[in-house]
Amino acid sequence: MSEPTRIATFQPWPQRWFPNREWLLLVVLAAECAVFGLLSDRFLTATNAFQMARQAVEVGLLATALTPVIISGGIDLAVGSLMGLAAVCFGWLATVVGLPWPLAALLTLLLGAACGAVNGLLIARLRLPALIVTLATWSLWRGLAEGLTGAIANYSDFGPGFLAWGQGDLPGGLPQQLPLFAVVVLACGVLLHRTAWGRTLYAVGHSPAAALHAGLPVRRAVTAAYVLSGALAALATVIYVARLGQAKADAGTDYELLAITAVVLGGTSIFGGRGTLGGSLLGLACLTCLETGLRLAALPAELAGILVGLLLIGAIGLPRLLAAPAGETGDFTVKNSQVAVLCAAVLAAGALVAGSNWMLVSSLAEQTAQVAPAPPAPAAPAAAAASSPASTPVAAGGLTVAMMPKSKGDPYFVSCRAGAAKAAKELGIELLWDGPTETDAAKQNEVVEAWITKGVDVIAVSVQNQEAISTVLRKARAKGIKVLTWDADALPDARDFLINQATPEGIGCTLVDEANRVLGGQGDFAIITSTLTAANQNDWIKHIKRRLEKYPGLKLVTIKPGEDLLDRALTSTQNVLKGYPQVKLVMAISAPAVPGAAEAVKQSGRTDVKVIGLSLPNMCKPYIHQGIVDCIVLWNTGDLGYLTVYAAKALHDGTLQPGSTTLTAGSRGEYAVQGSEVLLGKPFVFNKANVDRFDF
Amino acid sequence: MRQLLARHPRESAVAAAWLALLLLVGALAPGFLAWDNARDLLVANSLYLLPAIGMTAVLLARQIDISIGSQFAVVGLACGLLSKAGAPSWTLLLLAPLLGGLLGWLNGALVAGLQIPSIIVTLGTMVAWRAAIKWVTQGAWVRDLPPDFLWFGMGQAAGQALLVGLTAVVFGVAVWAAARLAAGRAVYAVGCDAEAARLVGLSPSRVTAGTFVLLGALTGLAALLHSVRFEAVQPTAGLGLELRVVAAVVVGGTAVMGGRGTLVGTLLGVLLLGTIGTQLTFLHVNPAWERALQGLVILGAVALEAARREGGDE
Repeated sequence: MSEPTRIATFQPWPQRWFPNREWLLLVVLAAECAVFGLLSDRFLTATNAFQMARQAVEVGLLATALTPVIISGGIDLAVGSLMGLAAVCFGWLATVVGLPWPLAALLTLLLGAACGAVNGLLIARLRLPALIVTLATWSLWRGLAEGLTGAIANYSDFGPGFLAWGQGDLPGGLPQQLPLFAVVVLACGVLLHRTAWGRTLYAVGHSPAAALHAGLPVRRAVTAAYVLSGALAALATVIYVARLGQAKADAGTDYELLAITAVVLGGTSIFGGRGTLGGSLLGLACLTCLETGLRLAALPAELAGILVGLLLIGAIGLPRLLAAPAGETGDFTVKNSQVAVLCAAVLAAGALVAGSNWMLVSSLAEQTAQVAPAPPAPAAPAAAAASSPASTPVAAGGLTVAMMPKSKGDPYFVSCRAGAAKAAKELGIELLWDGPTETDAAKQNEVVEAWITKGVDVIAVSVQNQEAISTVLRKARAKGIKVLTWDADALPDARDFLINQATPEGIGCTLVDEANRVLGGQGDFAIITSTLTAANQNDWIKHIKRRLEKYPGLKLVTIKPGEDLLDRALTSTQNVLKGYPQVKLVMAISAPAVPGAAEAVKQSGRTDVKVIGLSLPNMCKPYIHQGIVDCIVLWNTGDLGYLTVYAAKALHDGTLQPGSTTLTAGSRGEYAVQGSEVLLGKPFVFNKANVDRFDF
Repeated sequence: MRQLLARHPRESAVAAAWLALLLLVGALAPGFLAWDNARDLLVANSLYLLPAIGMTAVLLARQIDISIGSQFAVVGLACGLLSKAGAPSWTLLLLAPLLGGLLGWLNGALVAGLQIPSIIVTLGTMVAWRAAIKWVTQGAWVRDLPPDFLWFGMGQAAGQALLVGLTAVVFGVAVWAAARLAAGRAVYAVGCDAEAARLVGLSPSRVTAGTFVLLGALTGLAALLHSVRFEAVQPTAGLGLELRVVAAVVVGGTAVMGGRGTLVGTLLGVLLLGTIGTQLTFLHVNPAWERALQGLVILGAVALEAARREGGDE
């Protein structure tokens, strides 16, 4: 790139400290703090600061690892996948083999370094492009992790001494991993900015040929950058495992994208030669504050994505716009008219988004306005308030129930939300509905932490990973917040009640019974699942396999991922139908997989193959009527959300307590309570005869 | 022939790897080389080839676009909504590339106009579009599409033929344009050396922006052709598309640093990556190992070229 070369002897301090205008990020950070501080009184507290730091450590380590790599003109897309492989390795060593955890951690670091060395050797020695090598190892590391564990194994039996490294506090509320992170960052900062190795990376990034001609050890320096990146990714894994209390092949999914976003936001040039470690950390701080701040201010989490996009373009584009000296770069100078058009386009897009959201918000406001006169607060809050200051209601006098799906965009949870919103309206409850926008074990914990900081009354979670979420739910209970689980359970001591719509065993049994009916007691079938590592689906598969022992005529030939996408499910099913021609039944066990599989069967023209599965009636109606989908198994999702909100209210009021045997939920009547579980009823089978009676 | 192989080491390495796998699986699992399998593979890979053509141009011009997965979802949803609003399906064939081109133009204008690195711009638009979709749809699918949406109302066989035929025509035109048209050569020139290109009278910023528009338009077309295969449009469509397409293009020999690469290589890259999954299923490989094997095949194909190069150098 034709950047003017900077001679770094006598420069005024702004250039010396912020060579790439990182001060702009400080301004952004200050603005975020000011805005969110005004919107939420919990944002500018030490508790929240430490909480954000705890969440940011793993991505922070990856960003620290990536900065030298990107400065050298390379890229390492494989760090997130390497976390999967390292997690599996560490989990296996520490729990199955039974090594003491420091030794297991050391070996994991070595594995990370070795994987990094593979990347480094291929890139520096064989002179292959970094993007393509790390794209390949991005598949390879995650694939190895999945292959070695069958994508199922979840190691969770770690000692408290180890878990403290992810969950423990030092005196003063300081997260225990923070000093370690500080030391690593400091060491890397010194290596990058104060040693010959660091300067070599800058030289290589700026001009590989010049660096080589200057006699610098280019290959060794570049390889070392990738080795360091691998080792730091492994260290990030160890802390990730300690924070979540579980090690699984899907650890760190998409973390590379977060880390790269932080690094480029921090002013590091993707072409190499420019950037600072401090900038990367500032970038990360901006991203973390944005996400947590939106959550504490109860603004929609999707806003974060849009703002991150604008921030990236703004933070990098603005300085360039300001600094572009006219005429210097000839063809590349921008005409004012072009800038105007661009700004107009960006503004128009912003207005469009803002407008749609204004409509959304106002429509929601209308719904809640009808119940605006807050109902007189029941007597119970007095007791709750006495037990802990954290449960001071945030809405004026009302009850705040925070409800979390596994994934916000999943149509299944969207239909649950409708029922929950209805119940909240009836009861005059403020309902917070938030969760990961994709299934991510770590994200759920972060949302719960934010809710604890915010101080809600009841938390209701559809649990993605039992072991991971239970630690944070216990923390919520210790602060006097009532905890429910719905749809999927946490460990029993981490919640007050479970709203149980159907056990995994019930689902597995019903599916196999239906398969047996369709196949007439004899035949082969295949399963199309979500991702191979999805915790829920793997739980169902376990019970499906157990139930199969009852039917010796049925044979499960393969389990293929559909990745919750129509076209992946289509392709996987097409492959199964041809690779296993004897298959007469496809069992699709994620909501989008059923229509995807049905479309594949339809396109193949095979009338001897049927599809059954777990999905929403509306998605499958056309295929059920065409006779391709025989039946789907589910429960009334709206009722599930409705019941959960009523249970939350009852739990808060004290009418639902240990020993209760029934629970009355508004217009839906009475439900049975068994031990610490509220039962919704048995799974329902939707088929041609009854599917048109349902609309969800 | 030998000259051709020597001049295009990556293309020949990928072609060799692909043919070897094809023959191996064909011998082990006879159903693999059957017509209906070939048809399904053609249809599925057409949808990757279209954006891959555009991505080749963008990479040749020394840029990258990782927002195509989000563009894909935006255009797909728009097509579904327009069709529900009563737009005849043939108009979508024009509107989809138009909307895609508009989205691409936004990227291109930010990259070429404001000189922001393309990875940052497209990282930004990727996250922003995806978040906007989630916000507006809240995960709801576009359902109950009119009957003329599915396969353009032509039925499955004709619809599939149209889809593959359209892709083949686009590919043919692109190959011809890259070799014979001034616009095609300009992309190579700008990617090789933007300053030199400027001195001979080309406008690098216009060429760069043009490649983004092309990619956006082809992504839009692919999104439409993808959507008409299903009874509903899913707002999460296209997740991970960018990685898959970039992988196919770079495996096919296009240099990330611009200026070098061919569309035939891209075709081979798409074919190699697009058939592995099916082949592994035919070989009854445990699905848990599929991802690892895919990574190995990519590494193998690239290392093959490196080995040839090392051999040739010494």
